[in-house]
Amino acid sequence: MPQTITIDPVTRLEGHGRITLKTNEQGEVSEAYFTVTQVRGFEKFCEGRPFYEMPSMMARICGICPVSHLIASAKACEAIMAVQIPPTAAKLRRALNLAQSIQSHALSFFYLASPDLLLGMDAAPADRNIFGVAKAFPELGRAGVGLRRFGQHMIELLGRKRIHPGWIVPGGVNEPLDPVKREEILALLPEAYTNIKMALAAYKNIAGKFEDEIANFANFPGAFLGMVGEDGGLEFTDGKLRLIDATGNILHDKLDAEHFDDVIGEAVEPFSYMKFPYYKALGYPNGAYRVGPLARLNIATHAGTPLADIELKKFKQLANGPVLGSFHFHHARLIDILYGLETIEQLLGDPSILDTHVRATAGVNRLEGAGIAEAPRGTLMHHYKVNEEGKMTWANLVIATGQNNNAMNRGVLQAAQRYVKADKLQDGMLNRVEAVIRTFDPCLSCSTHAFGQMPLSIELQSPDGKLLDSVHRR
Amino acid sequence: MATPAPSRGAGRALVLACGNSLRSDDGVGLKIGCAVEQQPPRGNLNVILSHQLLPEHALDVSEADIVVFVDCSAVTAAGVVTTLAVQPAEKLPRILTHHLDPASMLTMSQELYGHMPARAFAVTVGAGSFEMGETLTATVEAAIPAAVAAIHKALLSL
Repeated sequence: MPQTITIDPVTRLEGHGRITLKTNEQGEVSEAYFTVTQVRGFEKFCEGRPFYEMPSMMARICGICPVSHLIASAKACEAIMAVQIPPTAAKLRRALNLAQSIQSHALSFFYLASPDLLLGMDAAPADRNIFGVAKAFPELGRAGVGLRRFGQHMIELLGRKRIHPGWIVPGGVNEPLDPVKREEILALLPEAYTNIKMALAAYKNIAGKFEDEIANFANFPGAFLGMVGEDGGLEFTDGKLRLIDATGNILHDKLDAEHFDDVIGEAVEPFSYMKFPYYKALGYPNGAYRVGPLARLNIATHAGTPLADIELKKFKQLANGPVLGSFHFHHARLIDILYGLETIEQLLGDPSILDTHVRATAGVNRLEGAGIAEAPRGTLMHHYKVNEEGKMTWANLVIATGQNNNAMNRGVLQAAQRYVKADKLQDGMLNRVEAVIRTFDPCLSCSTHAFGQMPLSIELQSPDGKLLDSVHRR
Repeated sequence: MATPAPSRGAGRALVLACGNSLRSDDGVGLKIGCAVEQQPPRGNLNVILSHQLLPEHALDVSEADIVVFVDCSAVTAAGVVTTLAVQPAEKLPRILTHHLDPASMLTMSQELYGHMPARAFAVTVGAGSFEMGETLTATVEAAIPAAVAAIHKALLSL
């Protein structure tokens, strides 16, 4: 008889979501929905505000990736101002954006995902957390804390605050880099390299244990979108977008922010507040695509830094063409970190990084502007319209997690059909369904926090509401 | 091997003050932390101001001989200053990114770095309002000197 299984809330995510699984008469999972239960409203309540307030306001969207919102927003403002920012300001922004990706990826990999990876999907829920990892693998636990600390500390040094730094402004950054801070960051790099190399080695050792999950965690053909540099290499801040299909063919290249919505549309579904972006040429839902670390590595021809280039080459050998399995997001995240550390070292090693000309100024020269950046979770787009006075009249944001929405839903269905047997709920199988979502590291609403316990209750009900089985996590 | 107890005021001290400066009295911990930083009662003192306790603080905690956690309290009456000795937690929370408490911080510093402070205290001030706002209520503002004095006393106990 048809049944509905609800996983609410999904744990170890940034924000709050719910998974609903529906079974058919044969007890097989036939439908799956990942629902985002919050509504934010940032695009509406900014209307009427001066455009130059947008970066600091939009950074409040997220406590994990505020830097990406700052950058995309500032770039949209600079399109309205019609200015080019000083080269040193661009370099400093690149460094800060990478520091953010390092800390965010460390949070995702070590704090949220590594309990599943290192302790096992079926480990006791009480142990399946970073403390359990710290007990069983103290060196890796320290590496995770160390990498997150590196990224957070660098953000604090440059932006004065770990969360919601205000350093990035329309036109550049609001103060040059202090040479003392540069030396402090450079001195922290050797330990950070040690930590990421250890993590990469550990991941490669255990990845072989997850062949079934690799095959069934959102592993399907589909398109990938992300930013690349002028030479087609990995880029997080100042490149253009490339879209490829499941075989690696380029569907669209050199897409800039100004033309983003000519190419990408947004659909809505009644079960979620999160939008469903898609490639217009293929329509919805066929034009669904993935963004984020896996997409970035799939679309880039090379990394452009020595160690990351070696790792990227090995990564690309996982498949004949784009790597399609979303489990590999975890691996890609670690390569992102390595690339970030190397690029930060290159940027800070350049004497011009201390140049004091770091901000351009201008008023309203256009009534519309858009900006893009790679957030840790993928491509982020801010698009604004203003009146002659520079007051906001309209805004649209396309966030990375939204662009993975369709893939997450497909992935949940794929994993549920593989692992969930609806006659009896087991923690390990439901954890696998949640773990599919974790591979994408969705950031549903980092700036709203839940206080107190976050229990997970899953109930299996018959169509007449009778409780057939339940699992509770405390 | 047990670390020899340092002489009074000679060990490494840490004040870890938390709060949200945009939520009225929730910001009192940060103001208290600033006050301690401006007039430190002893040397070798590190003051960290943070929105909340984070796993990354475990290293700072592990390097201290005495730690004082500072925050508002949603339980005690507004303006009431409380000093409690903190013991390491026996069980740690499963979800930690937004839910770490002082006892868990001690345990995490021990498990990750093999050391935790010999003494740990939590100094809290009862909050009267968590509404949006950057100012404290008068009762809570008036309690800051008593909270600073309580921290000084705790810091000088080692």
